[in-house]
Amino acid sequence: MAMKALDIYKLLPKTNCKKCGFPTCLAFAMKLASGKVDVDLCPDLDEQTRELLGGATRPPIRLVGIGAGERSFAVGEEFVLYRHERTFYHQPGLMMQVADTWPGERIERIMTRVRDETFHRVGEDLSVDGIAFRCESGDADQFGGVVGMVEACASLPEVVIADDPEAQAAALAHCGNFQPLIHAACADTVEAMCDLARKYGCALAVRAGDLEELKRLVGLCRDRGIENLMLDPAPATLRDFLVRSVEIRRRAVERTDPDLGYPVVFDTVPIDLPDAATALGILKYAGVIIIDELAPSSTMAALTLRQNIYTDPQKPIQVTPGLYPVNAPTGSAPVLMTVNFSLTYFTLLGYLEAAGIPCYLFIVDTEGMSVLTAVAGGKLTETVVADAIKKTDLENRVDHRILIIPGYAAPLSGKIEEETGWEVRVGPRDAAEIGEYLETGWEA
Amino acid sequence: MSEEHNPEQGNRILEVSLGATTAEGGTRERVYTVGGAGTFPFLGAGPAAGHPPRIALEICDDTRTWSPIVLREVGDLAGDTGAWAAAAETTFGADMVRLFFTSTRQRGFDDFASLGTTMEEVIGATKYPLIVEGSTEPGIDSEVYRRIGEAAEGERILLGTAEADRYRSVAASALAYGHALVAQTPIDINLAKQLNILLHETGLPPERIVIDPYTGTLGYGFEYSYSVMERIRSVALQGDADLARPMISSAIDSLNVKEVREADPETADEVAIRWEFYAAFSALVAGAEIVCVRHPGTVALLREALPALQEGSHPQEEAYGDESA
Ligand code: B12
Ligand code: SF4
Repeated sequence: MAMKALDIYKLLPKTNCKKCGFPTCLAFAMKLASGKVDVDLCPDLDEQTRELLGGATRPPIRLVGIGAGERSFAVGEEFVLYRHERTFYHQPGLMMQVADTWPGERIERIMTRVRDETFHRVGEDLSVDGIAFRCESGDADQFGGVVGMVEACASLPEVVIADDPEAQAAALAHCGNFQPLIHAACADTVEAMCDLARKYGCALAVRAGDLEELKRLVGLCRDRGIENLMLDPAPATLRDFLVRSVEIRRRAVERTDPDLGYPVVFDTVPIDLPDAATALGILKYAGVIIIDELAPSSTMAALTLRQNIYTDPQKPIQVTPGLYPVNAPTGSAPVLMTVNFSLTYFTLLGYLEAAGIPCYLFIVDTEGMSVLTAVAGGKLTETVVADAIKKTDLENRVDHRILIIPGYAAPLSGKIEEETGWEVRVGPRDAAEIGEYLETGWEA
Repeated sequence: MSEEHNPEQGNRILEVSLGATTAEGGTRERVYTVGGAGTFPFLGAGPAAGHPPRIALEICDDTRTWSPIVLREVGDLAGDTGAWAAAAETTFGADMVRLFFTSTRQRGFDDFASLGTTMEEVIGATKYPLIVEGSTEPGIDSEVYRRIGEAAEGERILLGTAEADRYRSVAASALAYGHALVAQTPIDINLAKQLNILLHETGLPPERIVIDPYTGTLGYGFEYSYSVMERIRSVALQGDADLARPMISSAIDSLNVKEVREADPETADEVAIRWEFYAAFSALVAGAEIVCVRHPGTVALLREALPALQEGSHPQEEAYGDESA
């Protein structure tokens, strides 16, 4: 079970010596309780206390890294079952599979897609994270050859899927030094797979449909010194995955079963419901999701879902309020007022840049609320606008006194005019119409 | 062990029945019961699993504001509300139709007689329970909901939508003509609770209320809706009776978002379907008992995925067997 700060404090030396980097033992205890620091930072603990506190305060799910270089990612280090309890920290990696029996062109096409395809949303570039190689030929040389071919043209995080340690060895000879995930060890192969994981220092997935067996495999790996592990609950249906993954996460975050404190791998390919399985993996705690080739329409939706689920539910993503020039405006350019919610800003910016009309985006602080939400929740008011005009020194930055407000803020237009003395024009509701609106003479 | 996972605790989502057979004074061939679960979705077994969720296809009586992608897909059906509704059940495989009286949302609407006619047409064309959405304009609400409610009398439709500042007309119609009702609040668990308390005071029994926590579209607020559904389910299972109601989810703006609207015409259908699917499927996982979509292709994709989430091989069929007349 997780410990409270005061209980942790009782076990610390209480000398406030600051060697841990915190001003007092209590401050350190509080950080420990929230799972934010490692107990080893305090050098003055006896072995027993260190172990006790470590078990109770280390993140309940181990952080496991996959891949090397720019696209590498880490998963695990999660603390809760439901994102409203806190937030989810490490989004799952989506790994698109290629099989070693496929024609070279098909493999190359997928590799190129994973390497180059990105999709831009709310200031972020979203993309599939890496490649999963599946050994279908049963032939170590063939498998190694395919891995080598892809390895030569892309540096992407990888999963090597082969039950046969020899095929694994052949693949790892090409990519082992780039931290791929080895997938997967089962009862018969655990020893050989551990040897490979040790040789290349990469993460290893263990696979079993039964949680007790998974735990046993974890124990065997740990006995061999392999700690960078992931769990594949070998689901045959969506429900299998849901039930098993939820149970693993629950026991891990409640710290009732430390052997299940590892991120989960979801191989969606055998289930044959690509969209549903990908969505379920994103929602229900997968750390790595192995997918078949999904059409761009699917990856776009899946990556958007992932972005949604992995934002902090307590704080909307915000941009800094202020005056933002778009398309190199001069002092006579129109001023478009909007809110500081990232989604609103980026949506608007996209349309304005596409329209190519010089203007200023005048962003007021609505605490990250969208236009309608801010109007409904009282976060966008005439005083907020008046304050923002002062703060940005708007009067001296443009040589007119006309403010264009969003269509959805129309109810505020009179009040804003009164409070600020600026002339208010109500723009369209939909940002898609903004180019046309500005072109057909906002100055009127 | 956290409480929401403890089946012994015994808290269940209230069951709501939709539709009425001839024996019950309606004309439906099927009656659906939604709700009843005692765990988070798809985790329970036996009675704690609750009733299967339902997939509704949304249609409308005035297509001027409807997505051109859907209109292209359904072709002539869009001009014939009855035929569109029938196709939803037979051709597209939806569990039910959700009819929007979008005509009432045009400025100066006053053709109240048409509402009764269309309602009767759709009732005649369909066999399964119905969800029907009326006006959003307080000035005409009372007349609109009276006409719809009356025309559907005895059918136990799910009538929408009640909101905190305009629920009386909908509730009055549901009470007078024996319908169930959708109670919508904007992504806030406390507001959802308050509205249910308000509705209780109108005399509408709790087993005739379905909560709509409002679903922001994928990429445009869905993250809030997903979590609010999980929270509602969580407190319901911990014993909050005002929130232990089935939920309905419709990411209503899905087909209007930039990503869908601006999709290349060749892939527009695919994009539309995926955008709806990811939100609807996620809503099911978060606790929605009824999910609504507009593109027929999304219904097909959901239809395919649902059995793989459920216990047993053919839970849908079993449920029909139990509950049909
Ligand atoms: C997600 C969401 C929330 C989130 C907040 C998200 C956020 N950071 O803003 C949460 C859950 C917190 C929330 C809370 C509330 N919400 Co809310 N929420 C939404 C939802 C689903 C999506 C909002 C969104 O992200 N929109 C996308 C962004 C990009 O839109 P936008 O900012 O308006 O920008 C567009 C246009 O305005 C335009 N535009 C923007 N700037 C400019 C500038 C110019 C010059 C021009 C021309 C155009 C332009 O371009 C953009 C793209 O087209 C909407 C429903 C909806 N469909 O809008 C309800 C909605 C806005 N919420 C609503 C309400 C009532 C509330 C609450 C008051 C409820 C409550 N709890 O009391 C609170 C208020 C919060 C507070 N306390 O301040 C209502 C508003 C009703 C109304 N018509 O007034 C809505 C419409 C839902 C509903 N139908 O009931 N909400
Ligand atoms: S190092 Fe240990 S003893 Fe020193 S202040 Fe930190 S917690 Fe206290």
